[in-house]
Amino acid sequence: MEEVRTDMTKRLTGLVTVGAAGLLAVAGAVPAAAQDGTSIEMIAAQYTVDMQPYFDDLAARFMEENPDIDVTVQVVDWNNIDQVVTTRIATGEPPDIANLNYFAAFAADDLLYAADQIVDEATVNDLIQGFRDNSKYEGVEYAVPDLASDRLFFYNKAILEAAGVEPPSTWSDVKAACAAIQESQPGIVPLALPLGPEEAQAEFLIWTGGNGGQYFDGENWVVNSAENLETLEFLQELVDAGCTQPNPGSFDRTAGAFTLFAEGVVGMLNGAIFLPGELENTYQSDVDWGVVPFPAADGKESITLGVQDYFFGFKKEGNQEAIQKFLSFLFIPENYAAFLEAAGGFLPATVSAGESMSEDEFLAPFIEVLPSAIFYPSDQAAWGSVQGAIQDGIGAAFVPGADKQQILDEINAVGEG
Amino acid sequence: MTEARIARDQKPTKAGSTGAPRRRLPDLGPLPWIGPALLLIFGVVLWPAFEMLRTSVLEISRSGLAKGFIGLENFERLFADPDLTGILTRTLVWVFVAVSVTILVSLGLASLLNAAFPGRRLVRWALIIPWAASVVMTATVWRWMLDGFYGIINRILFDLGLIGGPINDWLGDPSTAFIWLMFVAIFVSLPFTTYVLLAGLQSIPRDIYEAARVDGATGWQAYVGITLPMLRPALLVAAIINMINVFNSFPIIWAMTKGGPGSLTDTTTTHMYKLAFQLLDVGQSAAMAVVNFTVILLFVLLYLRVVDWRRA
Repeated sequence: MEEVRTDMTKRLTGLVTVGAAGLLAVAGAVPAAAQDGTSIEMIAAQYTVDMQPYFDDLAARFMEENPDIDVTVQVVDWNNIDQVVTTRIATGEPPDIANLNYFAAFAADDLLYAADQIVDEATVNDLIQGFRDNSKYEGVEYAVPDLASDRLFFYNKAILEAAGVEPPSTWSDVKAACAAIQESQPGIVPLALPLGPEEAQAEFLIWTGGNGGQYFDGENWVVNSAENLETLEFLQELVDAGCTQPNPGSFDRTAGAFTLFAEGVVGMLNGAIFLPGELENTYQSDVDWGVVPFPAADGKESITLGVQDYFFGFKKEGNQEAIQKFLSFLFIPENYAAFLEAAGGFLPATVSAGESMSEDEFLAPFIEVLPSAIFYPSDQAAWGSVQGAIQDGIGAAFVPGADKQQILDEINAVGEG
Repeated sequence: MTEARIARDQKPTKAGSTGAPRRRLPDLGPLPWIGPALLLIFGVVLWPAFEMLRTSVLEISRSGLAKGFIGLENFERLFADPDLTGILTRTLVWVFVAVSVTILVSLGLASLLNAAFPGRRLVRWALIIPWAASVVMTATVWRWMLDGFYGIINRILFDLGLIGGPINDWLGDPSTAFIWLMFVAIFVSLPFTTYVLLAGLQSIPRDIYEAARVDGATGWQAYVGITLPMLRPALLVAAIINMINVFNSFPIIWAMTKGGPGSLTDTTTTHMYKLAFQLLDVGQSAAMAVVNFTVILLFVLLYLRVVDWRRA
């Protein structure tokens, strides 16, 4: 998940080091220790800084049980992982396993094993069906969901109370709450709207989803639909009314929205399942917050945005069995629980882990709204590109004089192209 | 020249000799010395440039696999992008404004540093700092100083009564963001340019000024009549090196705005990066790289001409 993208310097260093990182990674892939055995390498996503220690420990324990297999896991942060994986494939040195938020482009190039080739049968059967459905490309499961998240509408209790409004459930309520907050508490940003490149694809989809909008309708790309345009216009009204921070197209989630919310300067925002943990650990914030389902357009259904990430295995001679053994080992309940713990506050992808977590009081409201979740069209090979086009492009819709329809058309063309 | 003469001189001898064919083998003597340099040039200049050209005419899938030759399609898609006109225009403005303002300010700074005053050494040292600091670091510091909510610049301007409200999102609004980006580009270019010009100033012999003073030239006349013409080589070198640097500059824009909102503060350099790693279109990005490379090549040719001009 692009969830943990933080600041821009990282991305920048990424550019500078991508070549070097690629080379290092290649060096790491050279078969090393295992005597006449197999060496496999995994590139994993850095949900938190605990991931590398987790994988080092997991790999060490795995190799103890399977002395003929040598496992190396390289954890890469979200700002660089796309470049690392793309560079590796382009240079003909793909890893054996990758952990990323899209997979269909690789499946389209016939680079991947099917899901039942990379984990054992028991694991496949334990995966939550809805997540499995999102792991298919042209009807075949090519990826295994590793974890998931969804979102709720967070609000600052003190700010809403002082304004004398209830948490909103419709777009009209949002407007009314904004006006009340502006009137009672000047200086407070009623609603944080981060449509900057970090997470624009999520922020826009959760708003437009509440208006019946989508990116892909099952057959065609519909980024330029009437619903999506309507949503942009509604958000523009909020911006014009001073309900949001200025320039949503340059405002990012982590450095902008989360930080201001943690400081108690923001009244409401779209928050993911890991926001409570961030507030407590990263920001050490004492803001008293509450959650409600995401507000929908008047007369429309409230939705939540479900996001899932993937494990997938690259076809290379003689590596399939080792991949399957290692990933199955990862999904052994105690190992998988440790994985979720290291990743920090996500929803599990397996039925068994889900059962033990539904009693968690923080997770309960997030699990409750899951049935209404809409997902990214990650089964489409073009999704990675469209996601980039939204992150890069949608923010420009809020610049004075921007042609919103044309901006949506341009993004849509990336999917069709 | 020398070789040609030798060849000419040899002709009569050859004609008068027995006529045995004399095959001239290339002299391989210097190879061990220039070999490593040749390898380096081939490995880090020619080969990557060739790969770039090759990639620009290949179809590259989203996962990064080459799918075969597609001719100029990557270029067609690149030029069909409605945002490209704005990006190209902005790149021109970016290079022109940043370089010309840098040169003007550096001229003043160089003259100042060339004059004797107490503490000159200290000022000369201080000027190196923006140069010595990593550009990423400088740009990141400016990014936070200009932040709409926490930035110190807003605080200062507000306290001075120069802006109406405490929140002014300089980098979020593309019209102000681009000006600030150019400001930072100038800020980091000043030290190098100033030192080049200072070196130029110091190479002008003192006695020319003395002669001019004897002839009754004013300070301004001496500056226009002596300093500027004598400084011309240094000025041209500074201008061209700056053009190349500013044109290629990625970190300032990336650290401060990521080219956003949308592509409204992108130059061709950041656009190239976005094409490859956001839109996952390596082929089109390579086409953009070829265009950028051509522009840089033109700058370099210009530079070589200038060097020749200096020799003449």
